[in-house]
Amino acid sequence: MSTVTLYSVSYDLAHDLLFLLGWILHYGPAAAAVENPNVVTGLGVLIFAAILLAASMLNTIVLIWYERKLLGRFMDRRGAMHVGYAGLLQNFADGLKLFRKHTTQPAEADHVGFYFGPTAYMVSSLVIFGILPISTGWNSGALPLSLLLALVVFSFAPLFIFVSAWSSNNKYSLMGGLRSAAQMIAYEVPLLLAVVAVVVVAGSFSLTTIVYEQQNYWFWGPLVVALVVFVAAMLAEMERIPFDLPEAEAELVEGWNTEYGGMLFAFFMLADYLRALVGSILIVLLFLGGWTMPGWVPSAATSFPLAGIFWFMLKTYLVFGLFVWVRASLPRVRTDQLLRVGWNRLIPLSLLSVFLAAALVSVRCLPVFGCVPSPGG
Amino acid sequence: MSEMWINMGPQHPMTHGLWNLRVQIDGELVRAVDPEMGYLHRGIEKISEDRHYNEVITLMDRCCYVAGMAWEHLYILGAEAALQVRPPERADYLRVLCDEFQRLGSHLMWYAAFVQDLGLMSPFLYGMRDRDLVLDLFQSFTGARMTYEYMRVGGVRNDLPPGFADRSRKVLDWLDDRFREYDALCLGSTIFRKRCDGLGVLKGPEAIAHGVTGPMLRAAGVKRDLRKDRPYSAYDRVDFDVALADSADVTGRYLVRMEEMRQSVRILRQVLDWLDHHPGPVVADRLPRWLGAPYAPVGAEGYLLKRNYPKGLGLSAIEEPHGEALSYVVNDGGEHPYRVKFRSPVFANLSAASTYLVGYHVADIPPIMGSVDVCVGEVDR
Amino acid sequence: MQPQDLQRALAPKLGERLLGVEPFAGTAGRVRFERTAALETFRAMRDDLGFAHCAMVGGIDWVETREVLYVLWSDGARQYALLSTTVPANDAHVETASGVWPSANWHEREAWEMVDITFDHHPDLRHLLMPDGYAFHPLLRSFKLHEPEELEVKVRHV
Repeated sequence: MSTVTLYSVSYDLAHDLLFLLGWILHYGPAAAAVENPNVVTGLGVLIFAAILLAASMLNTIVLIWYERKLLGRFMDRRGAMHVGYAGLLQNFADGLKLFRKHTTQPAEADHVGFYFGPTAYMVSSLVIFGILPISTGWNSGALPLSLLLALVVFSFAPLFIFVSAWSSNNKYSLMGGLRSAAQMIAYEVPLLLAVVAVVVVAGSFSLTTIVYEQQNYWFWGPLVVALVVFVAAMLAEMERIPFDLPEAEAELVEGWNTEYGGMLFAFFMLADYLRALVGSILIVLLFLGGWTMPGWVPSAATSFPLAGIFWFMLKTYLVFGLFVWVRASLPRVRTDQLLRVGWNRLIPLSLLSVFLAAALVSVRCLPVFGCVPSPGG
Repeated sequence: MSEMWINMGPQHPMTHGLWNLRVQIDGELVRAVDPEMGYLHRGIEKISEDRHYNEVITLMDRCCYVAGMAWEHLYILGAEAALQVRPPERADYLRVLCDEFQRLGSHLMWYAAFVQDLGLMSPFLYGMRDRDLVLDLFQSFTGARMTYEYMRVGGVRNDLPPGFADRSRKVLDWLDDRFREYDALCLGSTIFRKRCDGLGVLKGPEAIAHGVTGPMLRAAGVKRDLRKDRPYSAYDRVDFDVALADSADVTGRYLVRMEEMRQSVRILRQVLDWLDHHPGPVVADRLPRWLGAPYAPVGAEGYLLKRNYPKGLGLSAIEEPHGEALSYVVNDGGEHPYRVKFRSPVFANLSAASTYLVGYHVADIPPIMGSVDVCVGEVDR
Repeated sequence: MQPQDLQRALAPKLGERLLGVEPFAGTAGRVRFERTAALETFRAMRDDLGFAHCAMVGGIDWVETREVLYVLWSDGARQYALLSTTVPANDAHVETASGVWPSANWHEREAWEMVDITFDHHPDLRHLLMPDGYAFHPLLRSFKLHEPEELEVKVRHV
């Protein structure tokens, strides 16, 4: 049996569906048209996209539930309890409520920007999921530059935030948007430099290759400086406490999404958590070995069906749990402090991490971690 | 961004109530502030003029929604001074008990709101959780959690229920423990210190000139606490220290309030011990008939004829959780107070807003206002 | 501090305009003065007697006259003192204390809008608790609560 991949599943599904359609159409000329390989491939891609969309949205909603329950524990309360088992369906109920709500738009708001901002923000966050590999075979094909592409799409967000902030014609939104732009630009640089360290060691921009390079040891050990920089910068990019200044509810009401309600607000909310999920996934992919497990783990634990996805999601949720922990225990920093940390601390640290990575590659072998493969290998 | 005015309020997470802080900002810097009050004005002073003396107590609970007991106490002291009534000693102790539990409740509420302004989420819940224990105690002897209506001119309404002392001692032990946790969560955090140190500085002389009182003044190193300086009720018979800090900033106010809570626990333990050993009446036995009897019969012996109490003006001052609260009650011999006037500590603290807000960042406004501990109910009355 | 101390310190400065110092329970005393001597009284209380904290300024409407009541606190003596001056209702104005005690600013705004006492040279005599342009002074005795036809709010737009 050949390995089941996400693409093969969706292609088979498309093939079977179209075959069924052809059977209904009694093998006429119409049937020949629908059984055309191009049509099958096209439908396969669509099904593939639909599966990705459903998986990412479902994960996001579960992620919100997970955060609510975890925060509840940190705060000595129980979190969502009433809808579904242990409140599992609470977010679906919330989503349904937001879906039904009327979207109001301020009188002087710019209509195009007001709707374009949240939509583009949501879409750009969703697109990243088409790029990230989840497990062996369960990715959209090994793009050689998938890491770069993911980061490029990831960094679109401040633009869309700023557009929606400015077009909602509210001073709080505008301030939130400006803060968001300043913050994301300041933290984009250390984020990318930390990624450079990983790329130097792995010798590839392909996420799949980076994961396979971690077969021997995960990168968090030798690249611990890069990991610290990456996590800090990622917290800022996700706009979570302690770096949630753009929507600091104490002074800016709700920051750049003050004027949004209903489904547009739901877009923002979902996209925020999509980005949080992307951030956690990137940390797992770059530093925690992706779907691979170290050699001392018994093979029974890594060979059951969908074991890769299981370990991958487990790691992702644990990483996100760390972010929740941070959120539960840290106060919010101030704009100038945030920017000072970004430019004065994180950028030198990230440069240091690049140098360390280069040194690691030239030394090749480390006493504890073993040898790195040759670059590009 | 050039200079612009933004309205922080009347419905804004920073306000903790209903008021409007107009802020002129230049980028992220505050250039000028102008508080606008009155959104919660209910005319309590006016309504009081049409009520019997004891009926005003209902309004006092609504005056400050986090420190109703303290405001009841303030009014009662003013009314007793105007009518020249003395409560029995046990009532004095019970009032101190109420005041200090109310101080705990109010400061816990302040803690919760203040850390929330800084973005600390968990301690907010911790503060609210622990405040609930205090409210439970209030409920056990007044029947209400927010609008108690417990004090009376000439005493208090009822004595404590059996078992109250043990329950409250348990709560006090628990709180004593939690204060350490609060400090660890706040003072132990570098970000907290970076956010709060040197923020919203208001030095002693300036604070006095602007009429700032309470924890804000004591955080500036001025040792003024009416419980010590001008003891009322039973405060001259309990042992406690005045909390002081000298940094005059947000951290200083935090330290003062935390220390005040510890001192409150200390006072409460003494008061509970005293109450255990001194049973007695809780209301004075000779009171004017028209105090709290709106439906008293009018006739030969009716209340309208009993106007032989002295006319006068009663001044009272207490150390409310937010600072120095003053009232005067004018009694012209009728069954209603002629004029009631209150001085709210937050009113004065807010009027000095430009001295401690200008020059800081917009992001600093919530922690600074949080450290002021605004309760709009008592400002607007 | 006793009422005699207040009398001794204030009498040379105010002369005739000091109408008397009476004992008042729980305070250093109640000083009555002519409104023409307001500023001198304030300065003497703050600079000579150490009453640096003006806790409250309030007004009482005695129908024909109105009384302005100042409550002061001295950190040295640990005592309150009352100042009061009486002004006729048809000409109710007195010098502002906000130049001496900045804290009097808001209290005087409130006294002005509630009891209709004008404070001369006040830097910022606007409405505080009532909406701008509110034409009434609610804490006057003539403002009745229980006659609905008079409760109708008339806002004069300015």
